[in-house]
Amino acid sequence: MAGNSLPPVNLTDNGRPVLLPNEIECFFLSGVDLLCEDEPNSWFPHLKSGLLILTTHRLLWLPDTAVASSSSASAVHLSSISHIFPNKKSLKSVFASRRIRFQVSPETGSRSVVVTVVVRGKGDFDAFVAKFWENWRGRAWEESEKVASSSSNAVAGAGSASSGSGIYSSDGTVRMVGVSGILRKEQEMWESTDKSLQDAFQDLNALMSKAKEMVMLAEKMRLKLLSGSNSQTNTTNDEEMGSKEEMQELLLSVGIISPVTKESAGALYHQQLSRQLADFVKVPLERSGGIINLIDIYCLFNRARGTELISPDDLLQACSLWEKFDVPIVLRKFDSGVMVIQNKSHSDEEVFTKIKALVMKPDALRAGISPSDAARTLGVAPAMAKEHLLSAESKGILCRDVSPDGFRFYINLFPEIDRDDVYLVKDQGIYPSWVRAIPALG
Amino acid sequence: MRRRPGIGGLQTAAAARDQYKKLGENVAKIRTDMMKEQLSTFRSQLEDFARKHKNDIRKNPAFRSQFHEMCAKVGVDPLASNKGFWAELLGIGDFYYELGVQIVDICLATRPLNGGLINLQELCQLLRQRRKSDRGVVSEDDCLRAISKLKVLGSGFEVISVGKKKLVRSVPTELNKDHNEILELAQGQGFVTVDEVERRLSWTSGRAIDALDTLLDEGLAMIDDGHKDGKRRYWFPCVSPISSLTGIDSL
Repeated sequence: MAGNSLPPVNLTDNGRPVLLPNEIECFFLSGVDLLCEDEPNSWFPHLKSGLLILTTHRLLWLPDTAVASSSSASAVHLSSISHIFPNKKSLKSVFASRRIRFQVSPETGSRSVVVTVVVRGKGDFDAFVAKFWENWRGRAWEESEKVASSSSNAVAGAGSASSGSGIYSSDGTVRMVGVSGILRKEQEMWESTDKSLQDAFQDLNALMSKAKEMVMLAEKMRLKLLSGSNSQTNTTNDEEMGSKEEMQELLLSVGIISPVTKESAGALYHQQLSRQLADFVKVPLERSGGIINLIDIYCLFNRARGTELISPDDLLQACSLWEKFDVPIVLRKFDSGVMVIQNKSHSDEEVFTKIKALVMKPDALRAGISPSDAARTLGVAPAMAKEHLLSAESKGILCRDVSPDGFRFYINLFPEIDRDDVYLVKDQGIYPSWVRAIPALG
Repeated sequence: MRRRPGIGGLQTAAAARDQYKKLGENVAKIRTDMMKEQLSTFRSQLEDFARKHKNDIRKNPAFRSQFHEMCAKVGVDPLASNKGFWAELLGIGDFYYELGVQIVDICLATRPLNGGLINLQELCQLLRQRRKSDRGVVSEDDCLRAISKLKVLGSGFEVISVGKKKLVRSVPTELNKDHNEILELAQGQGFVTVDEVERRLSWTSGRAIDALDTLLDEGLAMIDDGHKDGKRRYWFPCVSPISSLTGIDSL
């Protein structure tokens, strides 16, 4: 049994790894084993069947949550890799799972060992290898150290770049000066637009005819995906799962949204996005009292991202995946069509009790509550408060009153009024409290 | 293979079934491989296209809308996800999603004025003011596409046509036909009176007052009781020819 001296990876509550500053994720591979074949091995563990994430600084291995494994998330820093062995194409490698080997030395000074990455799941192995080499050669971790230490030089450097004179700028293009420059710019723009538009339309036509073939194939795939999930009941082995996920990735890249079926959880991209979203949503949820409008989240998330924004469909898919993972938030749709994200702990019953308490106060018995009163008590946005009041009304707890003064809600007295004896007021209950609160009516 | 009776026949049939099954699996695998191959050729073609025309798509709204129409004919949705080829290589995903965020902002900021209904032209104008520094022109077609994507999020983002104009709705309240007709009527002068509604649309006074009051409740109409003839006027900021651009500069 080899010990585990690899640095661990901190995970957020939703299973996403915590990244170093400036660290960017580059590649995901599922169904990956990391093992060391050298003997004796005292420090590199045998990691089976997990998710491998390649970033600019490290190789992260996360255990598969579905499989109860004894290993925990570990990381191999790219700086500790001394050598990557080139892929030998032999007869044996055609039949076995794709693998790549690299030599890594630990920080603590044990001997360096050769580790093999065995990729059992589906995934673009060659692209991964290329990216692996690129990141390892790129040595992004050294740059971040350099940046940190040389931030003082940056200010001095910027000043010298703006100077430069003459009609030819530093990269050889003609600089635009004066009126002639403006005229020349206009003319160039006209020429280029005209010519390129002609080409563009031709190219567009050619592209679209190719796309049409793609779409027909993709439709067949999609039907197979849907019918496959209905007919097969128990035979969900790894092979099938992998191919289903692969097909969904292919469809997504062409631009056809495939539905999230019961078994497959959609593209890997959406799964990761779903977890990322769960992390992000925590803070705004707290701030807005446990419930927040979906469209607000869309704006907040995209603004935080800056580039590489997500589409509304991406957001919807990611939210619908939450039921598969173990996250404490749910997507909920109200009768009016408004969709919100709310904490699982934020139950309706709790809200209704609070509303009931509010509505039973003497001023409320007299004048009712408006959505803004409710918003203040519940600590949520007024639009959300209105939704809650409306759903309380549909449950029969409240009655609405529409008047020129606006929309107000009162406690529902009708259940307590006996139809046979309308004027009877019992001694206990909501009706008598109401009667007591209203000043002498007669 | 001749059908033979007896155990031999059953064995042959079983063997034949197995062979067919293997063939079926192979066909499926071949199809996936073929798909992957097609995809990579398509991707390289798209890369070529992007290299030459990425700027055109960004800068030229007419080309952009042509591109979208062709995609729709073929059956692909280039804005479906940010992970698709289209977004990666052409970069139009970000353009539309960012537009969507800005549209939501503008609608929220103007809601106190118009109750959640805003004229499409006004929206585009405010958008252009906001994006002064950004490269590229935003056409009405772009706004329409961004809004149609936002519809999925359930907050009632929709474009409705009232007469000649298009209005963008950003609240979940449903507008029925009566409301639409009143809005159409209001396009002329920006306001309507109860008499006008009764006369022009031949409604009973109850129906007219009901519809106008609902619009008032939702915040889409404003009351003006200050006119000389004493009749109450209902103004609709979303369709009035007087635009409400002043005061929104601080967006």
